[in-house]
Amino acid sequence: MLTKIFRAVTLILFVLSGASAQSNIPIISGGAGFLTATRGDNTFFQPVVAPVLVVPFGEKWLVESRADLRGFISRENGSTGPYQGQFFATLEYLQLDYNANSHLTITAGRFLTPFGIFNERISAIWINKFQDAPAIVAIGTAGGYSDGFMLRGALISNDRYVVNYTTYFSTLSTVNKLESERTFGGRLGVFIPSVGLEVGTSYQRKLQDQRMNSFGTHLSWTPSALPLEVKGEWAHSLSGHGYWIQGGYRLSQLGGPNSAIGRLEPVFRMQQFFRSRHIAGDSLPSTNVRRPEFGLNYYLPKEVRLNASYGRQFISQSTDVNVWEFGITYRFLLQLWPGESK
Amino acid sequence: MRHRIVIAVALACFWSMFVLAVAQTDAKLSQNNSKSKPSGATTRSQTDGEKRFQTNCGRCHNPPEAISPREARAVVRHMRIRAMLSAEDEKLILEFLAP
Repeated sequence: MLTKIFRAVTLILFVLSGASAQSNIPIISGGAGFLTATRGDNTFFQPVVAPVLVVPFGEKWLVESRADLRGFISRENGSTGPYQGQFFATLEYLQLDYNANSHLTITAGRFLTPFGIFNERISAIWINKFQDAPAIVAIGTAGGYSDGFMLRGALISNDRYVVNYTTYFSTLSTVNKLESERTFGGRLGVFIPSVGLEVGTSYQRKLQDQRMNSFGTHLSWTPSALPLEVKGEWAHSLSGHGYWIQGGYRLSQLGGPNSAIGRLEPVFRMQQFFRSRHIAGDSLPSTNVRRPEFGLNYYLPKEVRLNASYGRQFISQSTDVNVWEFGITYRFLLQLWPGESK
Repeated sequence: MRHRIVIAVALACFWSMFVLAVAQTDAKLSQNNSKSKPSGATTRSQTDGEKRFQTNCGRCHNPPEAISPREARAVVRHMRIRAMLSAEDEKLILEFLAP
C-alpha cells in the first residue's frame, strides 16, 4: 500500500516538476546505514535506508517526503536461538509546501510533529549523534508524525536575532502507515547568531482519548569559535517529565577537519525520565529511567560516518543494563533529472 | 550520589566550554573588525551566504562534500522549510553553494 502511494505520488510530481522551470530539478537525498545495539544480553542489527525526496515546482511550491525502511534482526529468544528478522516501512513525511512570503510557509500533508528539536531536526540517521532517540521524545510528538496543516517561518530575521515559529493542527487518522492523532500545538524559538544560541518552547494539546497538554523547552548552542555543539530538551506531560542534554566536540582544531584526529568527535549525552502516571500507549518508559552515554563519531570522506557509544541505563525497580551501540551511516544526494554534474 | 557527581562534572564541562567559546568569539570579532572589508558585491554576498550557512545549516549537520548548482537549488528550497529560513537567507545561502 505504502509503496503504491509512494510510486503514484513520485510519478505525478515528476510530471509536474518537468512541466515547471528546468532549473527546478527533483533530488533524492537521505541516508543509509547499518546499526547494531547490545542491551544487556540482547543484540539487534538494523539495516536502514531513509530516502528523502524533494520536488520543487515553480518558485513557491515544494513537495518533500522522507521514508524509513528498516530491518530488525535479533535472536528468537532474546539472547539465544536462531536469528530472525522483521521489516518496517514508515512514511515519515509527505508534505506540500507553499512559500507564501519571506516569513510564512503553509504546509499540508503528513509532517514531523514540531515539538522540541529532536523529532524535526535531529532524528535523521545521518544527523543524530547517537543511534537511538532520547526517552522523552514521545512527549508532545503524538507518535512523531502528524496529518494536517502547518504554518511556519521566521517571524523576525535580522543579523542580531531570529524569531521562528511553527503552529499546526493534526487530524485523527487510522489509515495504515498514515496514522496520526488529533492534536494542535506550536513552537516558538529565538536564535542569536552572534553566539550561536537558540532557546525555544513548545506546546501541544491532545484532542482525543485522554486530553492533555504537553510543554517543552529546548536549547541549541553552536559557537562559531569552537567545533562544539550542545543541544538539549526538557518536556513535561501528564505521563511524566524528563530531559536530555548532549554535547559533541569535533577535534578539528588538531590538524584541521580532514586530519586523522580532526575527523573524530567525542560525544556525551545524559537523559532522565520521571514517570508520574501510567497512561496506556504513551510510548514512554514504564518507570523512572536515567542513562548517561559516551560515544565517538568518526567522519570518513565521502559522507560516511562511523559511530560507537556506551551507556549505562539505570531503571527503577529493575536491573540496570549496559547499552553498546555501533554503526555506520552514509549520506547521499542525487539529482533525478539529467543535467550538469558535480 | 554518584549520579549527582556525573551531572556536576557534565555541567562544569559545558560551562567551561561556554566561557572558552565566548572568549574566542570576542577575540575573533575584534580581529575581523580590524581587517579591511571585502570590496565586490559578489564577494560580500558569498561571505554573508557562508556565514548564514554556518549559523543556520551548520547547527545540525556538516555541509555536503559535493553539490552541483542545480542540486543546491533544490536542497536550499528544502532547507528553507526545515530550518525556517527567511527568503533572504535562502538567497544568500544559494549564492554561497552555487555561485
